Amino acid sequence: MASSWWRWRHGCSWRRAARTPGPGSPGLTGPSGQHPAAAVRAQMSCFYLVKSLTSACLNMYSISRLHHTTSAVFCYSKPRSGEKYTDPFQLGRRYLKGLYEDIRKELLISPIELKEMSEYYFDGKGKAFRPVIVVLMARACNSHYNNSRDVQASQRSIALIAEMIHTASLVHDDVIDDASSRRGKHTVNKIWGEKKAVLAGDLILSAASIALARIGNTTVISILTQVIEDLVRGEFLQLGSKENENERFAHYLEKTFKKTASLIANSCKAVSVLGCPDPVVHEIAYQYGKNVGIAFQLIDDVLDFTSCSEQMGKPTSADLKLGLATGPVLFACQQFPEMNALIMRRFSLPGDVDRARQYVLQSDGVQQTTYLAQRYCHEAVREISKLRPSPERDALIQLSETVLTRDK
Amino acid sequence: MSLPPLLLRSPRHLRAPGRPRRLWWSPSLGPVSVGSWRGQSSKAPAYWNQVVSEAEKIVGYPTSFMSLRCLLSDELSNIAMQVRKLVGTQHPLLTTARGLVQDSRNNLQLRGLVVLLISKAAGPSSVNASCQNYDMVSGIYSCQRSLAEITELIHTALLVHRGIVNLSELQSSDGPLKDMHFGNKIAILSGDFLLANACNGLALLQNTKVVELLASALRDLVQGVYHENSISAKEDSITNDIGISTWKEQTFLSHGALLAKSCQAAMELAKHDAEVQDMAFQYGKHMAMSHKINSDLQPFIKEKTSDSTTFNLNSAPVVLHQEILGRDLWIKQIGEAQEKGRLDYAKLREAIKAGKGVTSAIDLCRYHGNKALAALESFPPSEARSALENIVFAVTRFS
Repeated sequence: MASSWWRWRHGCSWRRAARTPGPGSPGLTGPSGQHPAAAVRAQMSCFYLVKSLTSACLNMYSISRLHHTTSAVFCYSKPRSGEKYTDPFQLGRRYLKGLYEDIRKELLISPIELKEMSEYYFDGKGKAFRPVIVVLMARACNSHYNNSRDVQASQRSIALIAEMIHTASLVHDDVIDDASSRRGKHTVNKIWGEKKAVLAGDLILSAASIALARIGNTTVISILTQVIEDLVRGEFLQLGSKENENERFAHYLEKTFKKTASLIANSCKAVSVLGCPDPVVHEIAYQYGKNVGIAFQLIDDVLDFTSCSEQMGKPTSADLKLGLATGPVLFACQQFPEMNALIMRRFSLPGDVDRARQYVLQSDGVQQTTYLAQRYCHEAVREISKLRPSPERDALIQLSETVLTRDK
Repeated sequence: MSLPPLLLRSPRHLRAPGRPRRLWWSPSLGPVSVGSWRGQSSKAPAYWNQVVSEAEKIVGYPTSFMSLRCLLSDELSNIAMQVRKLVGTQHPLLTTARGLVQDSRNNLQLRGLVVLLISKAAGPSSVNASCQNYDMVSGIYSCQRSLAEITELIHTALLVHRGIVNLSELQSSDGPLKDMHFGNKIAILSGDFLLANACNGLALLQNTKVVELLASALRDLVQGVYHENSISAKEDSITNDIGISTWKEQTFLSHGALLAKSCQAAMELAKHDAEVQDMAFQYGKHMAMSHKINSDLQPFIKEKTSDSTTFNLNSAPVVLHQEILGRDLWIKQIGEAQEKGRLDYAKLREAIKAGKGVTSAIDLCRYHGNKALAALESFPPSEARSALENIVFAVTRFS
């Protein structure tokens, strides 16, 4: 831990850090889930690193909220294909035509109401963030392996399955959180009641499992069932809380991985397994997905403070109201130790939510979290750059930058 | 009415030594009427226990609490702590939890046991020798044991998810809203945890056909539970008019599919051919149907039922009674049994017993029992097969 801290202190100039990436800081790649003790230490070191770095380099690198310009410095490889600089989502969506129709086909069952509930979020209005990453990764891996730019049917299936697993967990999460709106409309539990909403979630999960089985690949089944377990464990992690400030951050990162990044990481890994036999490629895909996933969630947590409800489609300060202490809060707590008491009682007293919000906005919690997200994105880019150049690989690089600049 | 064929066949299958002769094989078995069972019904639990304990010896260990055994992990201690917070509230999860921990024999939880027995009864495949290297204990492959556990996990998960309450329908007698909300939260998470374990278990079996079978069983089960919910929600208005064939379809989804597909999957794991898989499926399906009809009949055949015992208006005897009587007369009977807007169950029960619904239900139960036995005939005679037969006899004895 100490040695990595020193490496960063000495390399504390942004240009230098860009050219000599060196071994990634152990804290930044997040928990691999295998060595919890080491991971906790690594995460704690990450937490302190970020604090020390930003305070040291604050003048050289003014951290504003939506800094898309500065991230260009960290792009290790510029797009080299002849194609124009296209929006990665556009590129991805081209290969996903009919995605939602196909998902609805998997949900064809007889009780009409149950079918309607299950189909409710597959209306094509979501971001389709996960399916886009999955198909882009599929093509990037296929190109890398044998120059083939087609997406196999099984790989496309993974895109559907990932979106279905994600939606099933959303439906259950909304009941757990008693949420009333999502994506700009009422939640399933508010319209049809909690009993049916839970069944709808179970149904979507069963449909996803059937589709998964039909691919016929036992490795892929193992990879994606791991996601289902991680999602549940992530929710349990969210139920509990840690007393110790240091453990809190590690706990937060672990929960972030399990609830958000695991699905993306494992879906990427699954398509790479289907497209290419090289385990090095599988690991690259996994690491890309994991780092982008964590960054995505960190920015989501930031937006909960900085954005307004209309843009997000769901109410803000939602995390605080649920008693959850996310990145910005944890960083703010370093500056304002009085927040500890609020965190421990999960913002349950009247006025706690507003007070906490004020603390966060007054502190540099948002900046710190955004900066951390950037580090994860850079790691993702570093990994994916190891693949052979292709429009899809470049799209994935651009996509990780989009994660940082999104405003909803 | 004539004696159902299964009773004529039964003596040949009595195999296990030391078991007392089945009590129903007595001359007083003539026309089925509720009153003649007075002497035998009190022995029913003892007989059932015996069937189950014999069966457990055959498969090698007690199968009670199978689904709970796999929950011995940190999450469980977390779940247990959370469930404890619900003590004193009215959330259904408490009842479910209690039911799981109590003697499961009284609840007739026997999916896992049946899967193990049928695995043993089928034995190794005679045509496909690819399972030769699999672990086998007491005649059952370890993958089949795993499957039995997975079946129980799926069943328990949905049992827990059935206990979610609609927050908008709560009344002040249900207690504080936040307790119910918390109970819902824990119920969802526990159910999801069980499902996640089931999925992981399925992945470890490394057999995509089995995964597909069990996933489709889960889908069927969810649909079945959905139907149950819709119907019980309408109980007050009693407007549902489903006939017995719809009832059978819905009951297959909610009770038969999981066991049927699980038995089939057990055969697939041992690489048995399609015919054997189908026989196992048929056994599971018909045995589960008889079992459900049996439990539906209990309020109508027990002698000492208190006046306040309610019964499900969507149960087999009631649906049959309604179908035989015709809708209009049935609505009239319900009207007559209502006092100040509340249903007098005792009165309605008498009306139903006076009709042909109960006897038709008993016939239906035996019909499915026969089908289950017929499916078993294609399996070679063995202790395990006898145990499966005895289970059928236990659920079709009236009962």
